[in-house]
Amino acid sequence: MADKIVRSPVTGTVWKIEMAAGDAVAEGAVIMILESMKMEIPIAAPDAGTLKELSVAEGDQIEEDQPLAIISA
Amino acid sequence: MSWEQDAKEIAEKRAMARELGGAESVERHHAKGRLTVRERIDGVLDPESFREIGAGAGGAERDEDGTLTGFSPANFVLGFGKIGGRLCIVGGEDFTLKGGSPNEAGLRKSVYTEELACQYKVPLIRVHEGGGGSVAGAGPKSKTVGNPVFTPPRFQSVARALKTVPVASAALGPVAGLPASRLVGSHFSVMTRESQVMVAGPAVVARALSREVTKEELGGPDIHAKNGVVDNLVEDEAEAFAEIRRFLSYLPQNIHELPPTAGPADDRDRQAEELLTIIPEDRRKVYDMRQLMGHVLDPGSFFEMGRKFGPGLITGLARLNGLPVGVFSNDCFHYAGSMTAAAAQKVTKLIRLCEQFHLPIVTFVDEPGFMIGQDAEKAATIRYGTEAVLVASDCTVPWATVLVKKNFGVASAAHYGPGAYVLVWPSAEMGAVPAEGGVAVAFGREIAAAADPDARRRELEEAMFAQQGPVARAESFAMHELIDPRETRPALCDWSERVQPLLSQHLPS
Repeated sequence: MADKIVRSPVTGTVWKIEMAAGDAVAEGAVIMILESMKMEIPIAAPDAGTLKELSVAEGDQIEEDQPLAIISA
Repeated sequence: MSWEQDAKEIAEKRAMARELGGAESVERHHAKGRLTVRERIDGVLDPESFREIGAGAGGAERDEDGTLTGFSPANFVLGFGKIGGRLCIVGGEDFTLKGGSPNEAGLRKSVYTEELACQYKVPLIRVHEGGGGSVAGAGPKSKTVGNPVFTPPRFQSVARALKTVPVASAALGPVAGLPASRLVGSHFSVMTRESQVMVAGPAVVARALSREVTKEELGGPDIHAKNGVVDNLVEDEAEAFAEIRRFLSYLPQNIHELPPTAGPADDRDRQAEELLTIIPEDRRKVYDMRQLMGHVLDPGSFFEMGRKFGPGLITGLARLNGLPVGVFSNDCFHYAGSMTAAAAQKVTKLIRLCEQFHLPIVTFVDEPGFMIGQDAEKAATIRYGTEAVLVASDCTVPWATVLVKKNFGVASAAHYGPGAYVLVWPSAEMGAVPAEGGVAVAFGREIAAAADPDARRRELEEAMFAQQGPVARAESFAMHELIDPRETRPALCDWSERVQPLLSQHLPS
């Protein structure tokens, strides 16, 4: 079981979290939506697996490259 | 008396040159999963097209009778070859001899590579793996040291090649010092996952800075794909060769010729239905710009360069009804597609490439402006951004602009060359600044004083947004045409046919 850290491509805020820890995720499924520069940026799962951990909560301010979630494939 | 003995020695030397650093050294190299320089040259060229120059250069060892006993070839292999049937020059270091750090004949051949490309006016391809100068073997043999004072600058040939012919290079292993400089002294560069690019390697860094770092930490692909040192990152050597071949397919042989056109596309007037819905009506929602461009450009013709460097903008080469063009656009997934310092450098590089090799430029615009914030200011965004704007404003190749969504700020000026053919989609929003930021600045006090500040802010934003649509501007002839997004490809193909005859006037006299 390899863990994959999903990182933020942008600085912004966590607008909406669409999944809960423990959920099964399909590749490309939207885990959360960030808000940056007045746009909604969907964060999609890079691989199928289980959402092992959500590293942020709705409303959190996040930096570029910050870990958002961990998926175990 | 015949020349048989001499002929035999020539053949022997050639055979020894083909052995490179020797069977053991080659085996060690293969064990690392890497190809030899001769395998690389064969890999990048059309089959059987390599014609070597200077195969006999190197250091010979002879016994007392003068009979050849050994031969250590120049550790730089060079020659002519063909890519897509067109002549080119190819060269690369031989890592199996002295780790590619140039020996005497190797250095001469590496410099001559560029001279030859300029002389024959054909593209230059370099396949790099090796270090720079070495002190090993340097000793007090002679009192005459250094190059003569009248020697031309070492990098003059690199500069001349860049001004004259397309130059494409690959990093295929550790590349440091002089070869690293050559690698980036290119119009297009690519590195494999197994390669590193460094000014100096770990031992030098440890001695000077007392820091223990690996080659990967210094100059691995994770470092350089993002900082613009190389344009593209690929998995393996075969992919690197394919990218170089593809890059050259859009370019002329030299600055005196026009880019090679493919035949007219059989779907010239394709009107993809998807274009009507690809821009979401909800302005906060993102969409896939690469998909959008795919619906407009010739199928499969887009070759992206620099995807990870300044990812808010997308740059590359493509074809429109067979005509090679430079293309750039905004990727709203990255800070709404705003122009960062890195993205601006990437755009500047593309525009200069197009200007130099007579490629028309097509832009797809969704530009919110230069990136803002403290990090962006620290990165000198306004300086690099302004450079992109100035290079665009001064550009002399034909230019077409398709405004698909946002068009704000000084940065938007980088998307329009002089005389640009301007097509606008109904989803366009344009003005000095986007509605939200503009209202926050201009009506800050009024909003704060309102009974319901949020409601007042929204009201003002909506009023301002309503003025930013394209209809009034189209009626005022502030653009060539407001179009149905599905008409974009036929309109651009028409344009490409109109401008093609102008390109010959763009050639240097």
